[in-house]
Amino acid sequence: MTEVAQRQELEPAVPLAALFTAFLAVSLCGVGGGGGIVWARRIAVEKRRWISDREFADIVSLCQFVPGPNIVGIAVCVGAKMRGAIGTIAALCGFLVIPWAIGLSLGLLCLEYAHLRVLGNILGGIAATAAGLLIATGIRLLLPHRRRPAALLFAGLAFALITFGRLPLLVVLFGLVPVSIAVAGVEAARAR
Amino acid sequence: MTEPSAPIALTAHLALVSSISFGGFPTVLPDVRNFVVGTHGWMTNQEFANLFAVAQSIPGPNMILMMSFVGWKVWGFPGAVASAFATFGPPCTMYFAAYRLWDRFRNAPWQRIVRLGLVPVVMGLVIAGGTVMARAADTGWRAVAVTIAAATITLTTRLSPMWTLLAGAALGGFGLL
Repeated sequence: MTEVAQRQELEPAVPLAALFTAFLAVSLCGVGGGGGIVWARRIAVEKRRWISDREFADIVSLCQFVPGPNIVGIAVCVGAKMRGAIGTIAALCGFLVIPWAIGLSLGLLCLEYAHLRVLGNILGGIAATAAGLLIATGIRLLLPHRRRPAALLFAGLAFALITFGRLPLLVVLFGLVPVSIAVAGVEAARAR
Repeated sequence: MTEPSAPIALTAHLALVSSISFGGFPTVLPDVRNFVVGTHGWMTNQEFANLFAVAQSIPGPNMILMMSFVGWKVWGFPGAVASAFATFGPPCTMYFAAYRLWDRFRNAPWQRIVRLGLVPVVMGLVIAGGTVMARAADTGWRAVAVTIAAATITLTTRLSPMWTLLAGAALGGFGLL
Protein backbone atom coordinates (compact mmCIF):
# COMPACT_ATOMS: atom_id res chain seq x y z
CA MET A 1 0.00 0.00 0.00
CA THR A 2 2.72 2.50 0.97
CA GLU A 3 4.65 1.62 -2.15
CA VAL A 4 1.63 2.49 -4.24
CA ALA A 5 1.00 5.69 -2.29
CA GLN A 6 4.55 6.87 -2.96
CA ARG A 7 4.31 6.05 -6.61
CA GLN A 8 1.06 7.94 -6.90
CA GLU A 9 2.68 11.00 -5.35
CA LEU A 10 5.48 10.89 -7.86
CA GLU A 11 3.36 10.30 -10.94
CA PRO A 12 0.28 12.20 -12.03
CA ALA A 13 -2.96 10.36 -11.28
CA VAL A 14 -4.30 8.13 -14.05
CA PRO A 15 -7.11 10.03 -15.80
CA LEU A 16 -10.58 8.58 -15.26
CA ALA A 17 -11.08 8.60 -19.03
CA ALA A 18 -8.07 6.28 -19.41
CA LEU A 19 -9.60 3.81 -16.93
CA PHE A 20 -12.86 4.03 -18.86
CA THR A 21 -11.31 3.35 -22.28
CA ALA A 22 -8.96 0.62 -20.99
CA PHE A 23 -11.82 -1.42 -19.54
CA LEU A 24 -14.01 -0.70 -22.55
CA ALA A 25 -11.27 -2.37 -24.61
CA VAL A 26 -11.03 -5.30 -22.16
CA SER A 27 -14.78 -5.78 -22.36
CA LEU A 28 -14.95 -5.74 -26.16
CA CYS A 29 -11.92 -8.03 -26.57
CA GLY A 30 -13.18 -10.86 -24.36
CA VAL A 31 -15.54 -13.05 -26.34
CA GLY A 32 -16.78 -16.55 -25.58
CA GLY A 33 -15.92 -16.22 -21.90
CA GLY A 34 -12.53 -16.77 -20.33
CA GLY A 35 -10.48 -14.51 -22.59
CA GLY A 36 -11.27 -11.42 -20.53
CA ILE A 37 -8.65 -11.90 -17.82
CA VAL A 38 -5.89 -12.34 -20.41
CA TRP A 39 -6.88 -9.05 -22.02
CA ALA A 40 -7.14 -7.26 -18.67
CA ARG A 41 -3.57 -8.31 -17.91
CA ARG A 42 -2.31 -7.34 -21.32
CA ILE A 43 -3.84 -3.87 -21.05
CA ALA A 44 -3.41 -2.98 -17.36
CA VAL A 45 0.03 -4.56 -16.87
CA GLU A 46 1.81 -4.63 -20.23
CA LYS A 47 0.37 -1.74 -22.20
CA ARG A 48 -0.55 0.91 -19.60
CA ARG A 49 1.89 -0.25 -16.90
CA TRP A 50 -0.54 0.72 -14.17
CA ILE A 51 0.19 -2.27 -11.96
CA SER A 52 2.90 -4.92 -11.76
CA ASP A 53 2.44 -8.56 -12.67
CA ARG A 54 2.51 -9.45 -9.00
CA GLU A 55 -0.17 -6.90 -8.13
CA PHE A 56 -2.32 -8.24 -10.96
CA ALA A 57 -1.94 -11.83 -9.74
CA ASP A 58 -2.85 -10.63 -6.25
CA ILE A 59 -6.03 -8.98 -7.57
CA VAL A 60 -7.02 -12.12 -9.50
CA SER A 61 -6.48 -14.18 -6.38
CA LEU A 62 -8.73 -11.82 -4.40
CA CYS A 63 -11.41 -11.88 -7.10
CA GLN A 64 -11.59 -15.68 -7.11
CA PHE A 65 -12.51 -15.41 -3.47
CA VAL A 66 -15.53 -13.15 -3.94
CA PRO A 67 -18.83 -14.07 -5.65
CA GLY A 68 -19.35 -12.65 -9.13
CA PRO A 69 -17.65 -12.59 -12.52
CA ASN A 70 -13.88 -12.32 -11.88
CA ILE A 71 -13.31 -9.96 -14.75
CA VAL A 72 -15.76 -7.41 -13.28
CA GLY A 73 -13.89 -7.75 -9.99
CA ILE A 74 -10.62 -6.95 -11.77
CA ALA A 75 -12.17 -3.75 -13.15
CA VAL A 76 -13.38 -2.81 -9.65
CA CYS A 77 -9.99 -3.50 -8.02
CA VAL A 78 -7.77 -1.87 -10.66
CA GLY A 79 -10.05 1.19 -10.64
CA ALA A 80 -9.89 1.31 -6.83
CA LYS A 81 -6.11 0.91 -6.86
CA MET A 82 -5.56 3.75 -9.31
CA ARG A 83 -8.18 6.29 -8.18
CA GLY A 84 -10.26 4.95 -5.27
CA ALA A 85 -14.06 4.74 -5.45
CA ILE A 86 -14.35 7.13 -8.38
CA GLY A 87 -11.78 5.07 -10.28
CA THR A 88 -13.86 1.95 -9.68
CA ILE A 89 -16.90 3.69 -11.12
CA ALA A 90 -14.94 4.87 -14.19
CA ALA A 91 -13.52 1.38 -14.86
CA LEU A 92 -16.92 -0.25 -14.33
CA CYS A 93 -18.70 2.22 -16.60
CA GLY A 94 -16.10 1.56 -19.29
CA PHE A 95 -16.49 -2.17 -18.88
CA LEU A 96 -20.28 -2.17 -18.79
CA VAL A 97 -22.17 0.74 -20.33
CA ILE A 98 -21.26 0.76 -24.03
CA PRO A 99 -20.73 -3.02 -24.40
CA TRP A 100 -24.02 -3.62 -22.59
CA ALA A 101 -25.93 -1.25 -24.88
CA ILE A 102 -24.38 -2.74 -28.03
CA GLY A 103 -24.77 -6.32 -26.79
CA LEU A 104 -28.38 -5.81 -25.76
CA SER A 105 -29.34 -4.29 -29.14
CA LEU A 106 -27.48 -6.92 -31.19
CA GLY A 107 -28.71 -9.74 -29.01
CA LEU A 108 -32.35 -8.71 -29.07
CA LEU A 109 -32.19 -8.23 -32.82
CA CYS A 110 -30.76 -11.71 -33.15
CA LEU A 111 -33.34 -13.23 -30.79
CA GLU A 112 -36.11 -11.52 -32.75
CA TYR A 113 -35.29 -13.85 -35.65
CA ALA A 114 -34.53 -16.94 -33.56
CA HIS A 115 -37.69 -18.57 -34.92
CA LEU A 116 -36.08 -18.69 -38.39
CA ARG A 117 -34.87 -22.21 -38.88
CA VAL A 118 -31.28 -21.39 -39.90
CA LEU A 119 -30.71 -18.95 -37.05
CA GLY A 120 -32.33 -21.33 -34.56
CA ASN A 121 -29.99 -24.08 -35.75
CA ILE A 122 -26.94 -21.83 -35.47
CA LEU A 123 -27.92 -20.83 -31.92
CA GLY A 124 -28.44 -24.50 -31.07
CA GLY A 125 -24.92 -25.27 -32.28
CA ILE A 126 -23.45 -22.40 -30.30
CA ALA A 127 -25.32 -23.36 -27.11
CA ALA A 128 -24.11 -26.97 -27.34
CA THR A 129 -20.52 -25.79 -27.94
CA ALA A 130 -20.58 -23.11 -25.23
CA ALA A 131 -21.89 -25.69 -22.76
CA GLY A 132 -18.87 -27.85 -23.64
CA LEU A 133 -16.54 -24.88 -23.02
CA LEU A 134 -18.03 -24.44 -19.53
CA ILE A 135 -17.60 -28.12 -18.72
CA ALA A 136 -13.97 -27.94 -19.89
CA THR A 137 -13.31 -24.88 -17.70
CA GLY A 138 -14.67 -26.66 -14.65
CA ILE A 139 -12.64 -29.80 -15.32
CA ARG A 140 -9.45 -27.83 -15.97
CA LEU A 141 -9.68 -25.88 -12.72
CA LEU A 142 -10.55 -29.03 -10.81
CA LEU A 143 -7.50 -30.95 -12.11
CA PRO A 144 -5.01 -29.44 -9.63
CA HIS A 145 -7.20 -30.92 -6.86
CA ARG A 146 -7.39 -34.44 -8.33
CA ARG A 147 -5.16 -36.01 -5.68
CA ARG A 148 -7.50 -34.97 -2.87
CA PRO A 149 -10.35 -37.52 -2.63
CA ALA A 150 -12.38 -35.07 -0.53
CA ALA A 151 -12.15 -32.43 -3.27
CA LEU A 152 -13.44 -34.86 -5.89
CA LEU A 153 -16.21 -36.00 -3.56
CA PHE A 154 -17.46 -32.44 -2.93
CA ALA A 155 -17.17 -31.50 -6.61
CA GLY A 156 -19.16 -34.62 -7.51
CA LEU A 157 -21.80 -33.89 -4.87
CA ALA A 158 -22.19 -30.28 -6.03
CA PHE A 159 -22.49 -31.48 -9.63
CA ALA A 160 -25.07 -34.16 -8.83
CA LEU A 161 -27.22 -32.06 -6.49
CA ILE A 162 -27.55 -29.34 -9.14
CA THR A 163 -27.80 -31.51 -12.27
CA PHE A 164 -30.00 -34.33 -10.99
CA GLY A 165 -31.37 -32.95 -7.72
CA ARG A 166 -32.24 -29.58 -9.32
CA LEU A 167 -31.73 -27.93 -5.94
CA PRO A 168 -31.36 -24.15 -5.57
CA LEU A 169 -27.79 -22.80 -5.66
CA LEU A 170 -28.17 -21.31 -2.17
CA VAL A 171 -29.03 -24.70 -0.65
CA VAL A 172 -26.18 -26.54 -2.38
CA LEU A 173 -23.56 -23.89 -1.56
CA PHE A 174 -24.50 -23.52 2.08
CA GLY A 175 -24.92 -27.24 2.50
CA LEU A 176 -21.60 -28.26 0.99
CA VAL A 177 -19.12 -25.39 1.41
CA PRO A 178 -18.94 -25.38 5.25
CA VAL A 179 -18.42 -29.16 5.33
CA SER A 180 -15.87 -28.97 2.52
CA ILE A 181 -13.95 -26.22 4.33
CA ALA A 182 -14.07 -28.18 7.60
CA VAL A 183 -12.63 -31.25 5.86
CA ALA A 184 -9.88 -29.13 4.28
CA GLY A 185 -9.14 -27.73 7.76
CA VAL A 186 -8.85 -31.20 9.27
CA GLU A 187 -6.56 -32.29 6.43
CA ALA A 188 -4.35 -29.24 6.94
CA ALA A 189 -4.16 -29.87 10.71
CA ARG A 190 -3.19 -33.53 10.15
CA ALA A 191 -0.52 -32.59 7.62
CA ARG A 192 1.14 -30.31 10.15
CA MET B 1 -47.87 -10.66 -20.23
CA THR B 2 -47.08 -11.86 -16.72
CA GLU B 3 -48.28 -11.02 -13.24
CA PRO B 4 -47.26 -7.52 -12.04
CA SER B 5 -44.96 -8.88 -9.35
CA ALA B 6 -42.90 -10.80 -11.94
CA PRO B 7 -40.23 -8.10 -12.46
CA ILE B 8 -39.75 -7.76 -8.70
CA ALA B 9 -39.53 -11.51 -8.20
CA LEU B 10 -36.98 -11.84 -10.99
CA THR B 11 -34.85 -8.88 -9.86
CA ALA B 12 -34.83 -10.08 -6.26
CA HIS B 13 -33.89 -13.59 -7.31
CA LEU B 14 -31.07 -12.37 -9.55
CA ALA B 15 -29.73 -10.15 -6.76
CA LEU B 16 -29.76 -13.18 -4.45
CA VAL B 17 -27.96 -15.57 -6.81
CA SER B 18 -25.44 -12.96 -7.95
CA SER B 19 -24.52 -12.44 -4.28
CA ILE B 20 -23.50 -16.10 -4.04
CA SER B 21 -22.17 -16.55 -7.58
CA PHE B 22 -18.76 -17.92 -6.62
CA GLY B 23 -17.05 -18.82 -9.86
CA GLY B 24 -19.13 -16.31 -11.78
CA PHE B 25 -21.58 -16.80 -14.60
CA PRO B 26 -21.85 -20.60 -15.06
CA THR B 27 -22.69 -21.51 -11.49
CA VAL B 28 -25.98 -19.57 -11.44
CA LEU B 29 -27.30 -20.89 -14.77
CA PRO B 30 -29.08 -24.02 -13.44
CA ASP B 31 -30.71 -22.06 -10.63
CA VAL B 32 -31.88 -19.26 -12.94
CA ARG B 33 -33.11 -21.84 -15.47
CA ASN B 34 -35.19 -23.56 -12.78
CA PHE B 35 -36.61 -20.20 -11.67
CA VAL B 36 -37.37 -18.79 -15.12
CA VAL B 37 -38.36 -21.94 -17.04
CA GLY B 38 -39.53 -24.29 -14.30
CA THR B 39 -41.07 -22.25 -11.49
CA HIS B 40 -42.49 -19.33 -13.48
CA GLY B 41 -42.70 -20.60 -17.06
CA TRP B 42 -41.62 -17.24 -18.50
CA MET B 43 -39.87 -19.01 -21.36
CA THR B 44 -39.08 -22.47 -22.70
CA ASN B 45 -35.83 -24.40 -22.33
CA GLN B 46 -35.14 -23.71 -25.98
CA GLU B 47 -35.53 -19.93 -25.53
CA PHE B 48 -33.31 -20.01 -22.45
CA ALA B 49 -30.65 -21.90 -24.41
CA ASN B 50 -30.93 -19.31 -27.20
CA LEU B 51 -30.29 -16.46 -24.74
CA PHE B 52 -27.24 -18.38 -23.51
CA ALA B 53 -25.96 -18.88 -27.08
CA VAL B 54 -26.40 -15.21 -27.97
CA ALA B 55 -24.80 -13.95 -24.74
CA GLN B 56 -21.80 -16.27 -25.23
CA SER B 57 -21.16 -15.09 -28.78
CA ILE B 58 -21.30 -11.33 -28.17
CA PRO B 59 -18.21 -9.58 -26.79
CA GLY B 60 -18.73 -7.85 -23.47
CA PRO B 61 -20.09 -8.75 -20.06
CA ASN B 62 -21.89 -12.02 -20.99
CA MET B 63 -23.37 -12.84 -17.60
CA ILE B 64 -24.92 -9.41 -17.28
CA LEU B 65 -26.15 -9.50 -20.87
CA MET B 66 -27.77 -12.88 -20.49
CA MET B 67 -29.65 -11.82 -17.37
CA SER B 68 -30.67 -8.61 -19.17
CA PHE B 69 -32.20 -10.71 -21.98
CA VAL B 70 -34.15 -12.62 -19.35
CA GLY B 71 -35.27 -9.31 -17.79
CA TRP B 72 -36.29 -7.99 -21.21
CA LYS B 73 -38.43 -11.05 -21.83
CA VAL B 74 -40.28 -10.50 -18.53
CA TRP B 75 -40.60 -6.70 -18.43
CA GLY B 76 -39.10 -5.05 -21.53
CA PHE B 77 -36.39 -2.39 -21.26
CA PRO B 78 -36.90 -1.59 -17.54
CA GLY B 79 -36.60 -5.32 -16.85
CA ALA B 80 -33.33 -5.47 -18.78
CA VAL B 81 -31.88 -2.56 -16.77
CA ALA B 82 -33.13 -3.95 -13.44
CA SER B 83 -31.67 -7.38 -14.20
CA ALA B 84 -28.34 -5.85 -15.16
CA PHE B 85 -28.13 -3.93 -11.87
CA ALA B 86 -29.21 -6.98 -9.87
CA THR B 87 -26.49 -9.03 -11.56
CA PHE B 88 -23.50 -6.71 -11.20
CA GLY B 89 -24.51 -4.56 -8.20
CA PRO B 90 -24.05 -7.02 -5.32
CA PRO B 91 -20.77 -8.55 -6.62
CA CYS B 92 -19.27 -5.10 -7.32
CA THR B 93 -20.07 -3.93 -3.80
CA MET B 94 -18.45 -7.05 -2.42
CA TYR B 95 -15.40 -6.73 -4.68
CA PHE B 96 -14.89 -3.16 -3.52
CA ALA B 97 -15.27 -4.04 0.17
CA ALA B 98 -13.01 -7.09 -0.20
CA TYR B 99 -10.36 -4.97 -1.94
CA ARG B 100 -10.36 -2.60 1.02
CA LEU B 101 -10.00 -5.47 3.50
CA TRP B 102 -7.64 -7.61 1.42
CA ASP B 103 -4.46 -6.42 3.15
CA ARG B 104 -5.79 -7.81 6.38
CA PHE B 105 -6.47 -11.35 5.22
CA ARG B 106 -4.16 -11.75 2.24
CA ASN B 107 -1.71 -13.94 4.17
CA ALA B 108 -4.06 -15.40 6.76
CA PRO B 109 -3.65 -19.20 7.12
CA TRP B 110 -7.42 -19.76 7.08
CA GLN B 111 -7.56 -18.20 3.65
CA ARG B 112 -5.77 -21.17 2.08
CA ILE B 113 -8.06 -23.63 3.84
CA VAL B 114 -11.23 -21.78 2.79
CA ARG B 115 -9.93 -21.79 -0.79
CA LEU B 116 -9.19 -25.54 -0.65
CA GLY B 117 -12.74 -26.16 0.53
CA LEU B 118 -14.48 -23.69 -1.76
CA VAL B 119 -12.80 -24.35 -5.13
CA PRO B 120 -13.83 -28.01 -5.64
CA VAL B 121 -17.49 -27.24 -4.83
CA VAL B 122 -17.46 -24.27 -7.22
CA MET B 123 -15.89 -26.34 -9.99
CA GLY B 124 -18.56 -29.02 -9.52
CA LEU B 125 -21.11 -26.22 -9.92
CA VAL B 126 -19.41 -24.94 -13.10
CA ILE B 127 -19.48 -28.42 -14.66
CA ALA B 128 -23.13 -28.72 -13.60
CA GLY B 129 -23.83 -25.35 -15.27
CA GLY B 130 -22.41 -26.64 -18.54
CA THR B 131 -24.32 -29.91 -18.28
CA VAL B 132 -27.65 -28.24 -17.52
CA MET B 133 -27.19 -25.86 -20.48
CA ALA B 134 -26.27 -28.79 -22.74
CA ARG B 135 -29.50 -30.50 -21.70
CA ALA B 136 -31.54 -27.31 -22.19
CA ALA B 137 -30.12 -26.96 -25.72
CA ASP B 138 -30.43 -30.67 -26.39
CA THR B 139 -31.62 -31.55 -29.87
CA GLY B 140 -30.45 -35.15 -29.86
CA TRP B 141 -27.31 -37.24 -29.72
CA ARG B 142 -25.48 -35.05 -32.25
CA ALA B 143 -25.76 -32.01 -29.95
CA VAL B 144 -24.42 -34.12 -27.08
CA ALA B 145 -21.51 -35.19 -29.30
CA VAL B 146 -20.77 -31.52 -30.11
CA THR B 147 -20.75 -30.63 -26.41
CA ILE B 148 -18.37 -33.49 -25.61
CA ALA B 149 -16.15 -32.64 -28.60
CA ALA B 150 -16.00 -28.95 -27.60
CA ALA B 151 -15.02 -29.87 -24.04
CA THR B 152 -12.36 -32.32 -25.27
CA ILE B 153 -10.87 -29.87 -27.78
CA THR B 154 -10.70 -27.13 -25.13
CA LEU B 155 -9.01 -29.46 -22.65
CA THR B 156 -6.48 -30.98 -25.03
CA THR B 157 -5.56 -28.11 -27.39
CA ARG B 158 -4.83 -24.41 -27.08
CA LEU B 159 -7.39 -23.47 -29.71
CA SER B 160 -9.13 -20.15 -28.96
CA PRO B 161 -12.73 -20.64 -27.73
CA MET B 162 -13.79 -18.31 -30.53
CA TRP B 163 -12.92 -20.92 -33.18
CA THR B 164 -14.66 -23.68 -31.27
CA LEU B 165 -17.81 -21.54 -31.02
CA LEU B 166 -17.62 -20.72 -34.74
CA ALA B 167 -17.30 -24.41 -35.59
CA GLY B 168 -20.34 -25.17 -33.43
CA ALA B 169 -22.30 -22.37 -35.11
CA ALA B 170 -21.36 -23.72 -38.54
CA LEU B 171 -22.36 -27.29 -37.67
CA GLY B 172 -25.71 -25.97 -36.44
CA GLY B 173 -26.18 -23.63 -39.38
CA PHE B 174 -25.67 -26.41 -41.92
CA GLY B 175 -28.43 -28.32 -40.16
CA LEU B 176 -26.14 -31.07 -38.96
CA LEU B 177 -27.40 -31.07 -35.36
